[in-house]
Amino acid sequence: MNIPNPLEKLLSERNDLWRGRRRRAGDALETGRAALDRRLPDGGWPRGKLIELLPERFGVGELDLLLPCLAELTRHERQVLFIAPPLVPCPQSLLRAGLDLTRLLIVREQKHAFWAAEQCLKSGLCGAVAVWPNGSSAVSDRTVRRLQLAAEDGDAPVFLCYAPGSTPPASLASLRLAIRCSGHIEILRSRGGETTGSIRLHPDNVVPLASAGRRE
Amino acid sequence: MPAGALWTGIVCPQGALQAALRLLPGTTASTTPLAVHDTVSGRTRVIEINRTARSLGVQPGQVLADALAIAPDLESLTRNRGAETRLFEELALVAYRYSHQVAITGDGVVLETGGSRRLHGDLDAMLNTLGDEISAMGLHARLGTAPVPAAACLLARTGQHVTEARALHRVLSTWPLHRLALAPAESRKLEGLGLKSVREVLALPRFERERRLGRTLNRYLDQIHGREQTPLVYWQPPEKFCQTLELPVPTVRSEALVFALNRVLEHLHQWLRVRDRALSGIEVELLPEDRGPKIEFSAGLGQPGFQRDRLLEILRLKLESIRLHSAIESLRLRAESTAEQRPPQADLWTGTNVNDAWPALIDRLTARIGENGLCSIAPCPDHRPEKAWKWTPPGTTTADTDAPPRPNWLLPEPRPCRAGELRLVDGPERIESGWWDGQDCRRDYWTAHDRHGNRVWVFREYKPRDGWFVHGLFG
Repeated sequence: MNIPNPLEKLLSERNDLWRGRRRRAGDALETGRAALDRRLPDGGWPRGKLIELLPERFGVGELDLLLPCLAELTRHERQVLFIAPPLVPCPQSLLRAGLDLTRLLIVREQKHAFWAAEQCLKSGLCGAVAVWPNGSSAVSDRTVRRLQLAAEDGDAPVFLCYAPGSTPPASLASLRLAIRCSGHIEILRSRGGETTGSIRLHPDNVVPLASAGRRE
Repeated sequence: MPAGALWTGIVCPQGALQAALRLLPGTTASTTPLAVHDTVSGRTRVIEINRTARSLGVQPGQVLADALAIAPDLESLTRNRGAETRLFEELALVAYRYSHQVAITGDGVVLETGGSRRLHGDLDAMLNTLGDEISAMGLHARLGTAPVPAAACLLARTGQHVTEARALHRVLSTWPLHRLALAPAESRKLEGLGLKSVREVLALPRFERERRLGRTLNRYLDQIHGREQTPLVYWQPPEKFCQTLELPVPTVRSEALVFALNRVLEHLHQWLRVRDRALSGIEVELLPEDRGPKIEFSAGLGQPGFQRDRLLEILRLKLESIRLHSAIESLRLRAESTAEQRPPQADLWTGTNVNDAWPALIDRLTARIGENGLCSIAPCPDHRPEKAWKWTPPGTTTADTDAPPRPNWLLPEPRPCRAGELRLVDGPERIESGWWDGQDCRRDYWTAHDRHGNRVWVFREYKPRDGWFVHGLFG
């Protein structure tokens, strides 16, 4: 929150003062939205962490939210995986977002979704993995913990997009975002950051990432 | 006898027992009395036994019923001649890497080592590496060297090495007769004459031996002394790899199948090395006991090569996904697709081969998920949105096509909807015709909000059906 607070300002100017609540920012990937980056504790999607997305309804903007970061990863020749997406991701739309389709791999089977995600993360070869668990069965906290550990192994973020209406397990994730139908993103939980606040997702607040211009 | 020629014989003591045991997982423990039996002149007799069985009093040549009476715990296996042949072929494959003159004899393999002696430094070093390689295959074998192939096989039984003809003659003359590979009828005749050692037989005049004992004995003696060429049929590694394996016990357990497949993979590895090929895919057939339909599956490798652990993992994943209804009796493994061997190139600085890891991951995923489960997506040059995309093999896609804005998600098939629930926002985009493939259409696409407030991609179709359909979702 950027309320000009005189005390905060005074304290931040002193460099001989150690403040326990501030933690060192981890490694993060830019989300492609400056407004969101500012709110996230690490200044972007934390690497090697599990990020949970809770869309109010499917197709409310979760892919739009991820695409700038995923496109940036593929431009750096990193592999991106979509695991068990419920619908067909439109290639024209992905290309328009700047994704290199040769770097995108889609696992269509729902059955081995978590196994595949774990394998990909553990290999350390993937830039990011996005998983859409089946809406009909609840995701167990054991699965979530395994994914979290695999993400740490592979040093890549794993995005878990819960099916609308499903109840996610008690969170271990470092970041949990809800996406509202109105297009607002609400930070439900963020480890080491502020836990409140919502940001409006709008096509206007997408900023082109550093290397995006290189393709043109 | 050409100068410098030197032959090495490899024999497997108790070849029948070793061949049978190779296919049984977990029976290497020497505490179980084991035997191999065969039908000899109408009766089932024990032919080879292990040490534990011998300590219990079982003797080779005993009738199986007697042996079982002496040692009720005795586990006796039927002699598997196919497995024995395969065992010799495996030995021959290893030997082929040391010499192009390799022949399979009755109880082992003989190879010419004189020519490759210099390459390996000296004979001892070469025989040591050969011996190590054979023991790494889990086989117990003995090596012997002589200037003559027929004598090399005999010397191998006792592990003796003789490099000169004169020394060979000296060694042979000290031998008792039973150490020669004589036909039973011949040895009985010689025994009847009161002859016990090779020296005594050689002391007889040549024509006398021929008159009394036939021409074959003379020829054999000439062959082992190097006075006559030993006829050998040189063995060549097969052009294509295909191996059938009968399991000793029909099984439904996938671990037992993996164990057997591992044995075949070992053989395949040797074959690939000899043929200098890289593996790109294998096909496996499982033949059930009750003559039911055979189960076939294949495993492809993203990048040609051979890594036993990786292949074994792929096969294990494949087997896990197959439900076996009846016990598997035998299995066949074929390596039809091979490619030229290209040594892997490692990164100059780190020495790790990253390029190899990605195909390995893809192989592992496809083995479990299936060929269709893992793919990339590509745009297609077609104006009809349902034909403008296709699934492609992992990592492949087609070039960028200029297309008007499309939603992020497409429904696999357009779904009918009610127009009353929609609030049209943007459009229309007319998409028409397709008479060339019989799927003519005329539609108007709109961006709309449905009653939940979702942004959807809908179309009004005029031809061939009439009505409103949802085709995609933004977001």
